Amino acid sequence: MTDVNRRNFFAAGAVAGLAAGSAVGLGGAAPAAAGPRPGPGGGGPGLADVWGADFLYQWSPPENYKRDLSVGPRTIRLSSQSTPRVTGAEGVDYGALFKAMRDGGWTACEAPSNAWLERKKPDSEIREIKAQLQANDVKFYGLHCAGNIIAPDPDAERWQRHIIDTIHAAEEVGCELILTHAGSMHTNRNWAHPLNWSKEAWLRSVGALKRICRDTAGSKIKIAIEAVNTESINNPWAHKRLREDVGDDRICVGLDITNMVFPNVAYRMSEMLDLTFDMLGDQIAYVHAKDFVWNDMLPGMNWTMNGTGGMDYELFLARLSRLPLNPCMLVEFLTNNDEYSQAQRNIRAIAAKLGVKIHGTQA
Amino acid sequence: MRNLTKMALLAAALATSAAAFAADFNGSWVRDGARSKAAPYPNYWLTRAPAAGGFNPNAPFIVRVQQNATGVVVTHPLFPQRSYVLDGKAHSSRADSGLVQVSTTAAMAGDTLKVTTVQPFGGMPGNVTMTATETWSLSPDGKELTITTVREVPATTQSFTEVFKKQ
Repeated sequence: MTDVNRRNFFAAGAVAGLAAGSAVGLGGAAPAAAGPRPGPGGGGPGLADVWGADFLYQWSPPENYKRDLSVGPRTIRLSSQSTPRVTGAEGVDYGALFKAMRDGGWTACEAPSNAWLERKKPDSEIREIKAQLQANDVKFYGLHCAGNIIAPDPDAERWQRHIIDTIHAAEEVGCELILTHAGSMHTNRNWAHPLNWSKEAWLRSVGALKRICRDTAGSKIKIAIEAVNTESINNPWAHKRLREDVGDDRICVGLDITNMVFPNVAYRMSEMLDLTFDMLGDQIAYVHAKDFVWNDMLPGMNWTMNGTGGMDYELFLARLSRLPLNPCMLVEFLTNNDEYSQAQRNIRAIAAKLGVKIHGTQA
Repeated sequence: MRNLTKMALLAAALATSAAAFAADFNGSWVRDGARSKAAPYPNYWLTRAPAAGGFNPNAPFIVRVQQNATGVVVTHPLFPQRSYVLDGKAHSSRADSGLVQVSTTAAMAGDTLKVTTVQPFGGMPGNVTMTATETWSLSPDGKELTITTVREVPATTQSFTEVFKKQ
């Protein structure tokens, strides 16, 4: 991994600044800086300036950006939000469920925490789940958490408790991670709030996660944080800083790079992917796979079929294949099983073109 | 600039040419929305949102076609102007996004015009590869133009038919 810590960035920036100071043009504007900025900075994503930075947002990609599409040794397992899914409901034929997943090319799965915690499973059921996962070569990697750990009080306490219970449940069933969020100052986590980027909100997120780590001390379950643009964790620097401030290596990244997209990077995703993987590659616990387009007058991004929008899926899959561990990748936010099958075909086709290995086969 | 010059020369040649060819697509064509299946712009394969803002493929509009024995220029209100060389060979150009290359092959096949383009779907780096084949044909009286487009991507094959009436 490239060491992209803030000290290195600032050191590089100081050198670049000295060089720029000796080469200011007639208009007094400094030439474009070479290399990434030291952080998200003044509204930017941290990508290098391209041209006209003194009067234009740097929203167009540089010409001839070199993409390293070399393939690493890792194998990706795909999971999805197609149905039927693992929910924890009573009376499920787990053999049939996991076989159907496997036959459909989905060799990994997760479950929603609220449904999973709804019913305490007897040991015999947990044993049956584990046996059928093994028999069908499906990996049950995580519980996807509901709730908002910094919701206005008293809800924050309730949701922090929910995350703690989910970590214990994940251990019980043999998952390796839970996924949660930094949260929103609004009751509904999915809604933005004006104070979500305030110091108060940041300290609430850090404090909540410290408490969750403390109350689950000794657990090996990773606490993957998903970025969302409506929350404070919406860029790679914030991901990195959260782990530092919480001070626990179990805090890692549930990488959803499309959730970090805003106009500054919508057309610069190759660079954004490189920046993110360089900075966070060794912290990525698992990955979400979506795609997007900018199709409205306001900076409104909308979800689109995987492999057809702004995401550079070639680079995305190549970088995943070079991670330290075999990643599981959740295809989500499509509307029906047909679309999930279509998305999988696109992803597998792009992977095959590159030589990236994806576990299992699609019927 | 070089492309613009080439386009101007081709357009001038088309305007002055009266060469005979198998099917004459020249003219202004009014889209018949009622008999057409909307062919969405390939930049927008939306999955959880309404149609792309400002893009209404069923709105009435006019497509202008200039054709001679060697080429076709299509002026479409929703897309950049297209110039096709009718030699059956692959020609490379920039996608609408300006970021990737498109390969276009066009040729007359009897009374039909066939145009095949191969490109990253939405014109963005790393997109899945799409092969789109357009087949143009005229009614016997030459007053109706039908364009059938088949888009093939690993995910699926999509087919759209649009009908135009001569103005």
